[in-house]
Amino acid sequence: METKLMKGNEALAEAAIQAGCDAYFGYPITPQSEVLEYLAREIPKYSTKEHIRVVLQAESEIASINMVYGAAGAGFRVMTSSSSPGISLMQEGISYIAGAELPCLIVNVNRAGPGLGTIQPGQGDYFQATKGGGHGDYKLIVLAPSSVQEMADFVFLGFDLADKYRNPVMILSDGAIGQMMEKVTFGKYNVHKTEKPWATTGKPESRGRNYITSLHIQPEKLEVHNLKLIEKYKEIEKNEVRYEEIMTEDAEYIFVAYGLSARICHKAAIIAREKGIKAGMFRPVTLFPFPSKRLNELAETAKLFLTAELNSGQMVEDVRLAVNGKVNVEFYGRLGGMVPNPEEIVNKLENLISKENVS
Amino acid sequence: MNETTNLPVLEKLTYKDFAPDQDVKWCPGCGDYSILKQVQGIFPELGKRKEEFVFISGIGCSSRFPYYMDTYGMHSIHGRATAIAAGLKASRPDLDIWIVTGDGDAMSIGGNHLIHTLRKNFNLNILMFNNEIYGLTKGQYSPTSHVGLVTKSTPFGSIDEPFNPAELALGAKSTFFARSLDRDPKHMKEILLEAHDHKGTSFVEIYQNCPVFNDGTFFIYSEKGTKKEESLYLEEGKPLIFGENNSKGIKFDGFKPVVVDLTDGKNSVNDLWIHDKRDRIKATILASFANGNNGTHLPRPFGIFYSIDKPTYEETMLHQIEEVTNKKGKPKLDDILSGDKTWVIA
Ligand SMILES: Cc1ncc(C[n+]2csc(CCOP(=O)(O)OP(=O)(O)O)c2C)c(N)n1
Ligand code: SF4
Ligand SMILES: [Mg+2]
Repeated sequence: METKLMKGNEALAEAAIQAGCDAYFGYPITPQSEVLEYLAREIPKYSTKEHIRVVLQAESEIASINMVYGAAGAGFRVMTSSSSPGISLMQEGISYIAGAELPCLIVNVNRAGPGLGTIQPGQGDYFQATKGGGHGDYKLIVLAPSSVQEMADFVFLGFDLADKYRNPVMILSDGAIGQMMEKVTFGKYNVHKTEKPWATTGKPESRGRNYITSLHIQPEKLEVHNLKLIEKYKEIEKNEVRYEEIMTEDAEYIFVAYGLSARICHKAAIIAREKGIKAGMFRPVTLFPFPSKRLNELAETAKLFLTAELNSGQMVEDVRLAVNGKVNVEFYGRLGGMVPNPEEIVNKLENLISKENVS
Repeated sequence: MNETTNLPVLEKLTYKDFAPDQDVKWCPGCGDYSILKQVQGIFPELGKRKEEFVFISGIGCSSRFPYYMDTYGMHSIHGRATAIAAGLKASRPDLDIWIVTGDGDAMSIGGNHLIHTLRKNFNLNILMFNNEIYGLTKGQYSPTSHVGLVTKSTPFGSIDEPFNPAELALGAKSTFFARSLDRDPKHMKEILLEAHDHKGTSFVEIYQNCPVFNDGTFFIYSEKGTKKEESLYLEEGKPLIFGENNSKGIKFDGFKPVVVDLTDGKNSVNDLWIHDKRDRIKATILASFANGNNGTHLPRPFGIFYSIDKPTYEETMLHQIEEVTNKKGKPKLDDILSGDKTWVIA
């Protein structure tokens, strides 16, 4: 066990090394360039002739994701990271990688948009991350860290899930979690070796021919492929839902938030309790698969859900779908890289409660 | 189209008319300031109204330029300024368009759009500030960084072969290529005016010092002690002469450029290479000077390497429309509606 004080981006990069990341391809962009810079500095120390581990600054994010495509096709543990504008550029590649069923890890240190926006944190990429993002019917597994520790932990988890399901995994972080410094502990991690018989590693006699492709030109065949993907996503929904609950046991009012917003809502719940309001917090850790079932259960007893996001209301749609009208789901958002303080959110809750009591 | 062309030209403008009251946010000592000053300085000489100009940039320190020119402007997408400018020029050929871009913006993420814009030859101007580094994202290597450069993303030195912008431009069928540098304002001004005069895409590489992340890369071309030996100023129709007291020249040994001493009596000015900006082969050889040809050390050329007249994309496009219209005639809407080119949606 080793505990260090690190920036979120650096903890993530260090975890990538420890998780056996063979190749990293990326392009500088604020607020995540530290990932590339940390890996460029550190990975060569672990690279040998027998086991090459590479860090390469690509000419763009389009190149990065396609380099990921290439290395993932060879069965390597491979990763890229960027921030929102760069992730937009990657969408074509991500769609193909999902279609070709290759494992890889994609990190988005979300900044506020649209367009160039700002380098301050945002959560405006929730839809893009969870609803596909590129063209066609596909899903990424999406993990949302809310601490520096989780920036590291989710790298290990992300690589394992990617290999397990042959599916791209996205870590959806944000500019604040990426830049903040916190203590992070690295345990002992054994790199899971997954058999990858589909990889482009040369074809022995014993092995059948394999193409890595997302093309299935005959509709009948593509439909079979689509259905297979959907089966896989169902499996993921069955096995991989993760969330965190704070003081929800007796909560009448539940904040629902992920990532940075969840840190703020955690504080808001404590402040609300001090004021005598029975508040709690529910934090989806996996944004896909979304913890709908648990939210639906909580809706049985809670009076109100308040979803807080750094966007104009994205995850709130999934929360509403999850509770399916059982409970009122309200929304509080800040935009443009502005981050709310916990008191603001408590105020919003108090206003909603007083309205509730009036009506 | 062409709303602005029939307007009367206003009274004479000065550089102040092109300088908006914006805080300029470059680091102290950045080479971008000197380029801005020269650009603001030439605009009154172009004899146009302010609203006829558009500055389009991508993303980078250099790309903040449109904020600092009191003309129309677009601060666009990293790497895409050339494509955006092409779109604007195709639809508004009357506008006077200037692209400002950096080495990363133009040649890394924007490399694809750059080469296609060059080959299409719209009448517009591209100014690429080359500081051989990514300034805005705080110091990663760029596609013009030299081998061995230690940066944040190449802590053990860059191992990539860099682009030679002149070769890239010529290879992409650019009709105008020139090089200047931030520390030679007089030269830069001349080049900017010539680039603007060129009908077609002019591509100007401007060596720009980034004192924060790549300080001094180009100083040998401007510092007193080294400038004369290391830089070669090209002048149309004149021999290639450089060095202290103009004591050296470049001549051809077959196709190979060699440096000769003009003081030892063996060579005279008459033996030297005469600069001809219309000569593509000579331009290609000039471009290669930056590569350290076959181990020969050659001075770095500044000035117009290449400039030829060729119809612009927008001219050819309008010409084609005219030609087809002449041949086929311009149909009336009624004719189209009542003609036989209709079909029934079942
Ligand atoms: C899609 C995308 N990727 C990355 C960035 C981050 N970024 C902004 S400017 C830049 C490079 C700037 O370098 P250069 O073009 O040489 O301009 P300079 O700052 O040196 O003038 C990068 C990587 C971005 N804005 N958008
Ligand atoms: S980082 Fe370099 S290029 Fe950018 S403004 Fe500062 S000195 Fe100029
Ligand atoms: Mg640059």
